[in-house]
Amino acid sequence: MTHRVLRRDVLAGMAAIFALPVPPSRASSSTVHEVTITSFRFEPETITVHAGDVIRWINKDLAPHTATAEDFGWDTEEIPTDQAVEIKVKPGMDTDYFCAFHPHMKGHIMLE
Amino acid sequence: MKSLLTGFALAAALIAGPAKAQDVADLNDLEFAHAAYTADVIDIRYAHLALAISSNPDIHEFANTMIRDHTAVNEAAFALLEKLGADAQDNWFSQALNEGAEKVIDDFSQLRGNAFDKAYAANELAYHQTVNDLVENAMIPNIDNDEVRALFEQGLEIFKAHEMHAEMMVKALEE
Ligand SMILES: [Cu+2]
Repeated sequence: MTHRVLRRDVLAGMAAIFALPVPPSRASSSTVHEVTITSFRFEPETITVHAGDVIRWINKDLAPHTATAEDFGWDTEEIPTDQAVEIKVKPGMDTDYFCAFHPHMKGHIMLE
Repeated sequence: MKSLLTGFALAAALIAGPAKAQDVADLNDLEFAHAAYTADVIDIRYAHLALAISSNPDIHEFANTMIRDHTAVNEAAFALLEKLGADAQDNWFSQALNEGAEKVIDDFSQLRGNAFDKAYAANELAYHQTVNDLVENAMIPNIDNDEVRALFEQGLEIFKAHEMHAEMMVKALEE
């Protein structure tokens, strides 16, 4: 249990290098996959993407959420209500993710 | 153990008998708003206590989520009341909630380590179960204003997620 958070702290620095959330304007030439967060669910729960694509999470809930890799290798950090955060798809990135604030919320990425 | 039981006692007291739920149902919209606001603030107070006493990272993560989410709900409630030009109204039920919370905080303040973590998790589960039941069955069906009802429905969805999260936490602490 202690592990998880310690690991998370260590990997937070790496996440900044590997999967820096990109501002929407810089991602205009990539294929963008939208995942809506609504009623404490990632919709769609599974998305199919290619390296170089962009995943955009839009939070439609009143509660803030995150999309965070299970191995903490990438993280959108807090997505406030009615806001979006994007992550660029990297080869080898962890494809299972969850919400760090509500850990029962899970999502999956099919990386082709 | 005594403190753990207090949490359940509070929960039991709040759902004790249909008369109590019926009394809650008779409150007006502005009293519902005050009670919901009070319930949010109480859970934020519990979370601050947990951050001060517990050294368990999962408890900290949960407590921070309680602060973040209950603050978001209260901000939305304030914005709606302002838009409606109304003020929340203090009432017997808000006062009963506060009295129960004072007792829980007094008792839990004495606990340390695993004893605190277990008591906090159990209380969070019982508290969310009790409040969710009242919000869903006594308050929402009796709210007159559509926008107030919509906000309560959004709040309920959040508190149900918390209830599920608290259940996971109680189970993890048993292992
Ligand atoms: Cu979440």
